[in-house]
Amino acid sequence: MNRVRLFLLVSMLLVAVPAGADILVVVNPDSGIRTLSRSDAINIFMGRYRKLPNGGLALPVDLVSLKPRFYRALVDKNLAAINSYWARLVFSGEASPPQQSQSAADVHHLLAHNPNVLGYVDSETAWDDLRVVLTLDE
Amino acid sequence: MKRLWFARLSPRRRRRTRQRSVGSGPAGSARGENPRLGLTALGLVSWALCLAAPIPSAFGHPLDDETRLRFSGFGTLAAVHSDQANADFVRDISQREGAGDGWSGKTDSLLGAQLGYRFTDELDVVVQGLSRYQESGHFEPELSWAFVRYRPDPAVQLRAGRLGWDVYQLADSRYVGYAYNWVRPPVDHFGTLQLVHIDGADVTFKQPVGSDLVRLKLYAGRSDSEIYLTEGLSAEFDVDQVYGGNLDYETGPWRFRVSYTQIHSDVDYRGPVADAIERVPFANLDPNNVLGDVFGFDRITLFSLGALYDRGPLTVQAMVNRSKVTRYEGQIDSGFVSVGYRVQRVTPFVMMSKVKTTSTHPDGSDIDQQTYSLGARYDVAANLALKAQLDRIDTRSPGFLWRDTDSDWRGGWSSVFTLGLDFIF
Repeated sequence: MNRVRLFLLVSMLLVAVPAGADILVVVNPDSGIRTLSRSDAINIFMGRYRKLPNGGLALPVDLVSLKPRFYRALVDKNLAAINSYWARLVFSGEASPPQQSQSAADVHHLLAHNPNVLGYVDSETAWDDLRVVLTLDE
Repeated sequence: MKRLWFARLSPRRRRRTRQRSVGSGPAGSARGENPRLGLTALGLVSWALCLAAPIPSAFGHPLDDETRLRFSGFGTLAAVHSDQANADFVRDISQREGAGDGWSGKTDSLLGAQLGYRFTDELDVVVQGLSRYQESGHFEPELSWAFVRYRPDPAVQLRAGRLGWDVYQLADSRYVGYAYNWVRPPVDHFGTLQLVHIDGADVTFKQPVGSDLVRLKLYAGRSDSEIYLTEGLSAEFDVDQVYGGNLDYETGPWRFRVSYTQIHSDVDYRGPVADAIERVPFANLDPNNVLGDVFGFDRITLFSLGALYDRGPLTVQAMVNRSKVTRYEGQIDSGFVSVGYRVQRVTPFVMMSKVKTTSTHPDGSDIDQQTYSLGARYDVAANLALKAQLDRIDTRSPGFLWRDTDSDWRGGWSSVFTLGLDFIF
């Protein structure tokens, strides 16, 4: 009987805890951007084409602690593959990688002060003053 | 392990020191064992940098509070083993001497450092220095890029100064080993490239088409370089015009490129072979005319196609190029196909490449060879990759892609094994 209860309890816990939280791409509401397509996000974060839907220059910011999960969700690549990709662009002078931010508070600060900044956060980080423009499932 | 590689460097080089006077200028007499010293120093510096650096999630180091000034770099420490006793293996035709049978560290080892300063989001400058085994026969650093970049709009980029020669996909990052899976870009395809950088300007336009992207780059400038045809004959290019462009189409994981380039140069042939022509009695020959007539390097046209598929763990890459020279309908055809598949930290890959030159000149020294490569990249950390690669090279005619070739060597199979360590910081 105890075993059955334990089994039920564990099953419920497994169902209740999501496999992984989603990652949200966020902007300053003043940017006027409502949504961003996945290919826009790839173009901007991978340095291919950094134009926002509102016509402005996109300034992407990487959150270092979330970076491996973000790029896994965005382009299915690990950090080494992302660095390898950027090594080609940086050392041929073609493009520069996103600015690197050490903490979510830094990302928030940049977003709050510049409507051209694009950042990403864990879906568990709730920031009411920012707008979610894309949700990446993990 | 690393010390072992160094200890074994080029013991058989010594018997060839008499040939070191070949080539250009005053540096000749002072060469001696410089390559080896240079390499050891390079290795020590790179190791110090590697060990000192923490494992970063990105590379590059801001040197001020506002992250306007950034320092970054790349390097490769590699040892090549060749079993070919009749000729020496080179990475490209700028290398005067190659790797003989046994181990050699100079073919692929290099170190690059880059400094960038951002004035505004639109305007920045980039300076890069590169130390590799090059034309001079040692590792003296050269200024590889130094340019101002202006991006008035996300769709337009202008650059002026010293720029990488973006003649075809990967050409302007061919020394950045960390950026690709191989130990070196395929020699058959990249080994015959004549220039590393140009002094001039380029402009890039980007235009989205739905979710696809069209990218057009045009460039023009001048340059100079030196290539070796044999250890006893080099061609010094004084390029007064190099111009061209490439058109990219990016759709999903695909990236296609078409390129066209023209190079106009004055070519000065040097070395004992050129001297011998000049000394032919009563003929009064100008080696530049005689050799220029054979090689026709004063005007080169390159056409190139490239395709890259990069999705998740899978990378497939294919390129073809045709270079035409002015005399005797001379042309260089080359191409390669490579497939890599990443499994966690390991990326095994296979590659096949081919190069063939043709000319109607009766004495032309044609190149005809193909290479089958098998290897793997192991990502030790997000800034450090260890690589191993085996090349089986089927040479039907060595032409100028090998060095110190025995006069009776017509070709055959060679095995070249390379162990390399690529890093960025």
